[in-house]
Amino acid sequence: MLPIGAGKPRWFAALPGIGWLLLFTLVPLLLMLLISFWTSTIFGLRADWTLRNWTRLFSTPVYFDLLFKTVRIAFLTTLVTLVLSYPIALFLARTSGFVKTIAIVMLFLPFWIGYVVRTFAWLPILGRTGLLNQGLLAIGIIDTPVEWFLYNEAAVYLGLVYVYLLFMVLPIFLSLDRIDHSLIEAAIDLHATPFAVLRHVLLPLSFPGVLSGCIMVFLLTLGAYVTPALLGGPSGIMFSNVIATQFLADNNWAMGSTLSLLMMALVFAVLIVAGRKFGLQRVFMSAKGH
Amino acid sequence: MASQRDAKGISGLLVGYALVIYLFLYAPIVTVIVLSFNDSQIVGFPWKGFTMKWFWVVFTNPELLRATANSLLLGVASAVIATVLALLLALAFRRNLPFKATVFNLILIPIIVPGIVAGAVLVVLFGLFKVELSLWTSVLCAHVTFVLPFAFLNLHPRLHNFDSTLEEAAEDLGASPAMVQREVVLPIIRPGIIAAFLFAFSLSFDEFVRTLLLTGFDRTLPVQFWYMIVETLAPEAPAMAVLIIVISVISSLAGFAFSNRSSKTEPST
Repeated sequence: MLPIGAGKPRWFAALPGIGWLLLFTLVPLLLMLLISFWTSTIFGLRADWTLRNWTRLFSTPVYFDLLFKTVRIAFLTTLVTLVLSYPIALFLARTSGFVKTIAIVMLFLPFWIGYVVRTFAWLPILGRTGLLNQGLLAIGIIDTPVEWFLYNEAAVYLGLVYVYLLFMVLPIFLSLDRIDHSLIEAAIDLHATPFAVLRHVLLPLSFPGVLSGCIMVFLLTLGAYVTPALLGGPSGIMFSNVIATQFLADNNWAMGSTLSLLMMALVFAVLIVAGRKFGLQRVFMSAKGH
Repeated sequence: MASQRDAKGISGLLVGYALVIYLFLYAPIVTVIVLSFNDSQIVGFPWKGFTMKWFWVVFTNPELLRATANSLLLGVASAVIATVLALLLALAFRRNLPFKATVFNLILIPIIVPGIVAGAVLVVLFGLFKVELSLWTSVLCAHVTFVLPFAFLNLHPRLHNFDSTLEEAAEDLGASPAMVQREVVLPIIRPGIIAAFLFAFSLSFDEFVRTLLLTGFDRTLPVQFWYMIVETLAPEAPAMAVLIIVISVISSLAGFAFSNRSSKTEPST
């Protein structure tokens, strides 16, 4: 007779996945740390040990200026997305049955389309020949197309909120949806105003969803590349765009690695601060959706 | 009662607000779809008449067809590899896997690393080991790594909530352990596996930043589309966007349907 459990998957079934992830995430990150102390020349990377990349990072204000700008954009985008998303999450949590299913699918659908296409979609709205300009021209509010709808920081905010809204709505909706409705009825029976219900019942109970939504949107925005490149113009670029330039145009892997590590340090700092208050697992399990 | 009237008013406000947000979400997409039929050399308005010619331009451009084929094949390949790895991980998580919390954090890394860094680390890795960047080397590795956590997060709760008394019952009835896996476990989690696969496919199909850094001379559909809109805004760009939209929405909708089907078969927790 076979021993109990023979043929069942054992714990070592995890090894291929663990090996894959180590090889393609942690190992190359460590290699990057090494390379940030190497020298990039026009002929490629040379293992000449140097501190030049790191001194350049700390002595050239442009890198940290851009980093602060990126953090500012990420922070404000997160805030705006939160304010816009909470009522939508509340709306979804209050609907039921068929309407709810339709409302959820309709919310998901735009986000199933890749962010390159969704960001591109703003060009024929905000551009010179875009819907907004041509519409305003047609009804005579303006005589010449307005240029400043595009290629500035405001357009970047619009694009980022548009692209990442779902990542805020979803975790908040999931935490609101779990709230026992009798708690709200009890509050109403005790003559709580709608604002008091929101302030004392809904907000505290949905806080985990709010937190994981904020972390997701903040991290996604921090790493945004497409939106600033397409809608931001030269003044709207963010930190990812500078990293991309090192690899795609300047072929300076050493500096690119140094900048990547700075960004990773920021990401881990955010996660450590957030993870100290709440388990990281909770943040991501509630963020992943259905 | 005053509070009930309040509640009605608030419901009305929420519905009105939701309509505004849904309009905000759909307006750009509808605009692109409308413009894909606009008989105009520039991407934009005014409307110059209905035409299908941009779709003809798209479907007769061998480079675009090549990129479409690349994206579809790459999506299938990365989804298969990632779903298998994720399924094995999720099965191991039901057993006494050592360092479970650490492994869980490792699985989350591809989600938290910004796309540009995830691409850059592989540029460095493949460069140092002198492996040429291409669709089936660097891009495939990047895509599998990227979609693996999502496939895992899709499968893990389903396997975790799986009622193990079903397996025990089958064993008591004389089923061999292999039979239990094949005849009991697999049929129940199959919709979940298909959902994870479709979800992984659509993520890979839409992936852009990592691919841009790692693709060498090959092109995927999003990368091809990117060069089409940043170099010169080609008039067939909206038609190509519609092609991407159709493929993404169909695969995701299928994934969503399977995902809901499998949560219904899941024992309630």
